[in-house]
Amino acid sequence: MTQIAKTENMAMAAKEIATRTRTAEGEKFRERVLALAGEDVKTCIQCGTCSASCPTAHLMDTPIRKLVKLVLEGEKEEALSSRSIWLCTSCLLCTVRCPRNIRPMAVVAALKTIYEEEGNRCKDSVFEGIFGRQIRDYGRISEFLLSAEYMIRSPSSAAQIMAFGAELVPKGKIELAFDAAKGERIEGTEEVRRIFELLGDEGKSKKTEETEEATI
Amino acid sequence: MKLAYYPGCVARSTGREYEISTRAVCDALGVELEEIDDWNCCGATHVSNEVVSTALAARNLVRTDIPVMASCSICYSRLRAAMIRLEDRKVREKVNSAFDKKYEGEKEVEHVIETIARALSKSGDKDKDQEEEKGPKDLVVRPLAGLKAAPYYGCLLTRPGGGIDSPENPSILENLIRTLGAEPTEFRLKMKCCCGPIFVPEEEAAADTLIRILLNAKESGADFVVALCPLCHLMLDANQVLLEKKFGEKISLPILYVTQMAGLALGLAPEELGLDINLVSTKPVLEKLAAAEGEKTEEEGAEVC
Repeated sequence: MTQIAKTENMAMAAKEIATRTRTAEGEKFRERVLALAGEDVKTCIQCGTCSASCPTAHLMDTPIRKLVKLVLEGEKEEALSSRSIWLCTSCLLCTVRCPRNIRPMAVVAALKTIYEEEGNRCKDSVFEGIFGRQIRDYGRISEFLLSAEYMIRSPSSAAQIMAFGAELVPKGKIELAFDAAKGERIEGTEEVRRIFELLGDEGKSKKTEETEEATI
Repeated sequence: MKLAYYPGCVARSTGREYEISTRAVCDALGVELEEIDDWNCCGATHVSNEVVSTALAARNLVRTDIPVMASCSICYSRLRAAMIRLEDRKVREKVNSAFDKKYEGEKEVEHVIETIARALSKSGDKDKDQEEEKGPKDLVVRPLAGLKAAPYYGCLLTRPGGGIDSPENPSILENLIRTLGAEPTEFRLKMKCCCGPIFVPEEEAAADTLIRILLNAKESGADFVVALCPLCHLMLDANQVLLEKKFGEKISLPILYVTQMAGLALGLAPEELGLDINLVSTKPVLEKLAAAEGEKTEEEGAEVC
């Protein structure tokens, strides 16, 4: 390839990227993440301290550092389709170490939020959905209800959950009695429901609830 | 001293022995616990919307006027993270818009390890005056001599930073182990996240990390691991048999809650500390402790003769 052709190719590639990243959709996505995770995400220097600190980095398709970059470039689809956001254990090591005081974990949390707001579903988001709804409806988590519902929604997890349950039940760590299984409802469920509805519904489309039952 | 107690959801199920031993130890240390009225789940690591998770944690904080104590590292971290977010006036206004009782002013939150360490250091001061010797002798009536403990911090006890101890290399647990008469082991993976938050949907990913943590603790020469969080405990204790099968490794390493370890040194009976509820038998720890005490008694007896 001649030098001129090479340069022309590069220029075209650059133009393509620039067009892609400047879409209205990409811009909206970037703004939504910044609103959720903080404007200072813009000051990221791509040093990679977050990725180097991450306990599950070796399992991720996109390093946390790159997720931040994708957000800033408005690459919505690539960022939201990354498995990495569901492999974050929320351990906060990236966040205590970031030399720019950005909170990379908050970026991941924002990506999860947007993923869910837009009605996407995967096994991990289903688990998070069940967890959130249980708090909203009861105020507290019943590990029995949580695993039972997840098992129904994600049948491939049944063997693992049953094996774990078999260890816990004999020690009274999981109660199988009907009353206990219903969950411990607190008095203030109305206030808790308000927390979810008033503070959590920004950017959420109504159709999300309807697609909740979509397959995993 | 009186503290507002935030048990967290697992205190009533998979972390039953943590609650039992927390109450017993606080009682023995003269710390009165007043359970927060109508507390709710802190959201743990599963509510990704930050305003919602901040509000969930903060709803517990507004329900009391005295310092709050949590025993779960996740709850503790969530309560502290909420306090940091609520320093932002806009976040505070938003959160308060959903609250019956508003969040106003600073709150105090501590983890049960701080409660224990403080109570013991106070009793240490008393000793200092009396016999010029450091050490909480009047409370530690049954020193855990001869026992080696792997100090497992996990991730969230020290994070977000600015709290209990250094988020990089804390020492509060090693210090407590020594105060109680045991010896902390060199445990390289003491800060490695147990991956519990992703265990249900991502079991494979979590299992790889868990087996490394357990083997490393075992190699450190520990008789038991000390856990500060019920999720870490669940992953290392209840899950241990399943991990043994999965990886074909025999581990049999007891995992004690920090309160169970402290309770033993305070002279509480194993039943009072729920030590029969742990999945991996805690008997080897109790037997080794009894054997070490037997030797000591014999030596003392010999001196008298």
